[in-house]
Amino acid sequence: MKHVISWVDKRFPLTEFVKKELTEYPTPRNLSFWWNFGSLAGIVLVLQIITGIFLAMHYSPVASLAFDSVEHIMREVNYGWLIRFMHSTGASAFFLMIFIHMARTLYYGSYRAPRELMWWTGQGLLLLLMATAFMGYLLPWGQMSYWGAQVITSLFGAVPFLGDELVIWLRGDFTVGNATLTRFFSLHYLIPFIIVGAVVIHLVALHSVRSSNPSGINLADKNNIPFHPYFTIKDIFGVSVFFAVYSYFVFFQPNLLIEADNYIPANPMQTPAHIVPEWYFLPFYAILRAIPDLVGGVIAMGVSVMIFAAMPYLDRSKIPGGARYRPFYRVMFYLFMIDVLILGYVGAHPPEGFLVILGQGATFFYFGSFALLPFLSKWEEAWLRKKGLPAEVEALLASEQVQQLDRRHSREDRRKNSTETSGDDGNE
Amino acid sequence: MMAMNNCARFIILTLSAMWLNVFFVSAGFATTSNFPLENIKFTQDQASLQRGAKIYYDVCRLCHSLKYIKYKVLQEIGFTKEQVDLLRGDIPISASLSKTSSDKMLNSQYGQVPPDLSLMAKARKHGPQYIYTLLTTYSEKEGVYENAVFPGIKMPDALNVANAIDESLKQEIKSKAKDVTEFLLWSSDPRAAVRKTIGTYVVIYFLILSVMLYFIMKRVWSRLDKEK
Repeated sequence: MKHVISWVDKRFPLTEFVKKELTEYPTPRNLSFWWNFGSLAGIVLVLQIITGIFLAMHYSPVASLAFDSVEHIMREVNYGWLIRFMHSTGASAFFLMIFIHMARTLYYGSYRAPRELMWWTGQGLLLLLMATAFMGYLLPWGQMSYWGAQVITSLFGAVPFLGDELVIWLRGDFTVGNATLTRFFSLHYLIPFIIVGAVVIHLVALHSVRSSNPSGINLADKNNIPFHPYFTIKDIFGVSVFFAVYSYFVFFQPNLLIEADNYIPANPMQTPAHIVPEWYFLPFYAILRAIPDLVGGVIAMGVSVMIFAAMPYLDRSKIPGGARYRPFYRVMFYLFMIDVLILGYVGAHPPEGFLVILGQGATFFYFGSFALLPFLSKWEEAWLRKKGLPAEVEALLASEQVQQLDRRHSREDRRKNSTETSGDDGNE
Repeated sequence: MMAMNNCARFIILTLSAMWLNVFFVSAGFATTSNFPLENIKFTQDQASLQRGAKIYYDVCRLCHSLKYIKYKVLQEIGFTKEQVDLLRGDIPISASLSKTSSDKMLNSQYGQVPPDLSLMAKARKHGPQYIYTLLTTYSEKEGVYENAVFPGIKMPDALNVANAIDESLKQEIKSKAKDVTEFLLWSSDPRAAVRKTIGTYVVIYFLILSVMLYFIMKRVWSRLDKEK
């Protein structure tokens, strides 16, 4: 074994890689369980790809066969029901993990420098995930699949000048049909692998800036511990708990989040009474409907997803620890979470009476909290400093300064060394 | 097995994830007509499933197919090979249960082809309760039939509820409606029983594994305290 490894090491930096990224990779020891959701999202991604590949072996992406082939998987393929329910429940689990992962980042301010690129690659991953989920939802070819795709693709008609052409180009037909189904299937198979690539970029960025932690500063070296074994066991424990909950939904409540209408084969001649998207799109769907104008609604929905990318610039506060040491930001965070839940509720119900006003109010609050953040965060910092920061926070800020100095010194040392060696080279 | 099931349910109930379930189940129990559905429990016992299958075969099958159920699959609810052979006659055993009337005839009589019933118990909100309530709420006024759950329904009063005045006859019809609903519920998801059995073991497995991993985690992390 030793020989094999040393053979590989001469040709590939295996031991070095494992050492650097795993057994000696420094990780803050104070990470809470909220830091488990990144690895959980990764596990769900793997799960979705594996179950998806097996489903594709039995599924027919043809309009006349798609619905029947799903029932064939459910009834005749060995453990087909398990693979299918793991995949359909996994989609919801994926979004749940990602939303919690994002909420953690927002709460602790992990998006702040130097982790902007982590946040933005994450934003890209969210978009890719949404596209994949949306296309995957068409594949069972039920009523809700069909009409959901019909509604969402028609939104592209809001694009000026090119709108109508664009919608036809996307669908491959004048309405959602066989051409749409086959291309959605093709892309639904492709995009997950792009997601894997983007996750690698996300992780490379992570290993360069390292994990954030609840304190909000970069901890001193003595407070960092190797990723393995401490966080491998913590992540494995998290995965096991996740599987207990996930299995409950796969085996006992697999239809909980599947609309009843989706067990009726797609019928282009009959629109369902209420067209509702999957739960993970509901808040954004509510924002779309809150704006009375189609173009305005589409723009608002797009912005509502993309606006998170601006967080590193909107949040002007330099107080460490995110919401922990920032009373106003904390209140705002919780109000924002409640607001998203309200939007979700509004999105799930037909827009009638009070819900219209509630949806518009919640949309206003949604964008309002982003608009208010630059001013609130500045003012909050000034207020906190005037009031006198808690000793805890002062200590954190001081320790951060010391470390920045340390780091600058070590960087300068390294630069000096490298110029010296290159100088030597020149002499030779 | 039943005790095992209850035990698992109890453990699972304690999971905080349950709130989601409770929320969804309690969120409204009305259909488009807003007629309250009868909240009855379905047990999926074999005797009831078999009675339901026979009612489907004698009554519903005239107009409704059950295209995802094949004759051979009926053995899964306890019918013997001989009983299935008797039912199917010279139809192949791997054929689906099809309706006996032609689409053309049904179309001319009802203006549309009656839907396939394989997935009916899943294709409506609170499907089984919906089917049961629909079957038992027919009424007749001056020769015109009406249904409380589905106003303007084209389907005739298949179980003859409207004219049942006698209380014992009413009860008999209700138990027939329950049996046929049990059968349709099974048809919509024939793997449900296996799924729940396997699921019980899987969930228990992961719960025990989680507890064990928790203690391993504690032990690994305790090395940090020793160092200090």
